[in-house]
Amino acid sequence: MGNWERLVWNQRGVLLQGLMVTVEVCLIAFVLAVLGGLALCLVRMYMRPLKPLAVLLTEFFRATPIFVQLMWVTYVWPEIFGWPNSFFTAGWVALGLQSSGYLAETFRAGIEAVPRGHREAGYSVGMSPVLVFGRIVLPQSLLTVAPSIVNQFTVIVKSSTLVSVITVQDLMFQALKLVNVWYEPIEILTATAGIYIGFIFLVSTAGKMLADMLRQRYGLAAA
Amino acid sequence: MDAIPAIRVVDIRKSFGTLEVLRGVSFDVHRGNVVSMIGASGSGKSTLLRCINRLETPSAGEVYIDGEPMGAVEGRDRPLSEINRMRRDLGMVFQQFNLWPHMTVLGNVIEAPIRVLGMSRKAAAALGEECLARVYLSEKAREYPARLSGGQQQRVAIARALAMRPKAMLFDEPTSSLDPELTDEVLTVMRELAKAGTTMIVVTHEMGFARDVSHRVLFLHNGQIEEEGSPAQVFGNPKSDRCRQFLSKHLQ
Repeated sequence: MGNWERLVWNQRGVLLQGLMVTVEVCLIAFVLAVLGGLALCLVRMYMRPLKPLAVLLTEFFRATPIFVQLMWVTYVWPEIFGWPNSFFTAGWVALGLQSSGYLAETFRAGIEAVPRGHREAGYSVGMSPVLVFGRIVLPQSLLTVAPSIVNQFTVIVKSSTLVSVITVQDLMFQALKLVNVWYEPIEILTATAGIYIGFIFLVSTAGKMLADMLRQRYGLAAA
Repeated sequence: MDAIPAIRVVDIRKSFGTLEVLRGVSFDVHRGNVVSMIGASGSGKSTLLRCINRLETPSAGEVYIDGEPMGAVEGRDRPLSEINRMRRDLGMVFQQFNLWPHMTVLGNVIEAPIRVLGMSRKAAAALGEECLARVYLSEKAREYPARLSGGQQQRVAIARALAMRPKAMLFDEPTSSLDPELTDEVLTVMRELAKAGTTMIVVTHEMGFARDVSHRVLFLHNGQIEEEGSPAQVFGNPKSDRCRQFLSKHLQ
């Protein structure tokens, strides 16, 4: 037990600091992923001329390994676009872009899951296509996919451990640093895994509760 | 009878690819009248109803609402925004209810009065309560549709259509997806609407309703009106063999 106290409990400040960075990077990436995914999905479904571009981007984000994407955004983008100018930014951009590809497909599934009759009911009371989309299709599909969106956050958290490679000082980075100082990986890495499990468990439990609530209140099954 | 019918359907045709679903259908619905459309599945009843409020665009023919052509304006195709405006005048009730699950019962009813007619929330809520009272669901106003039985959902759908104060109501097999014990509550509401002088077109398999409530009954077969007349005439003394066969199957 001595090792646990010395290596983990006494280092909790460092680990906690790392966890905060992890949370921060994941939250920003999540916002980017939701907005980017929604944008990709809407362009793909409703802006015919730009559809090939949206499909290309979606597939590109989905098909590239997150590690490759991280390296690409960190080392190639600054050469081409002169941005991002920090490893932290590069980290959330890469994480966010990859998830935006997945979420674009999730949103599309949600929109396609809205029964045609619900739109027809809107048209038959005189609503315009824009009103029908904004008031009926979009809110209903957002509710339907909300649990899936929450689950995508857990994917971001898991992928986020890779940003330690580009020296973003997240939980994984701090854990590896401690390992390198003490050469005692067992307790430190086990504790780190435990923290990730706990965090992801909290998020996915929230997702499940949300799905239950949506089913009971609105009768919506998760897409 | 007034000179201009509330709804005049003139030679409506509709094809899906090579399949001709409607082969020239014409009839009038006068104000305050109830017209029932009966016929076997696939006879074109629902398609005809959907052509009337243009959820389907007819391949040919025209529908006039109070004398105003639905599909054309000054000889040109009527733009979608204009069709939307005219659709307000036709309340539609679907077989599958199609309530919006993310809105409360009252929210479903007052959505279009607020967003389409520009009513204030307060005025719309008063109107909504009034419409819900007509379908005996005042106490369900704050519930979400998922909590309601099928019959209750369908009555909310009727209230939602009524809230636009339409010139006519179109019912597309409104009780076909309901358990038998729930059809009566919907039919009762529809009978009361008819008694109050609502102009209605009802696609139905409820022969009792068609016989008791309608002013006219149309029997559709193969995309055409095979038989039409008063309920007494169509149910009591049908001229066409097909209609007689159909009725003998449905009037056990």
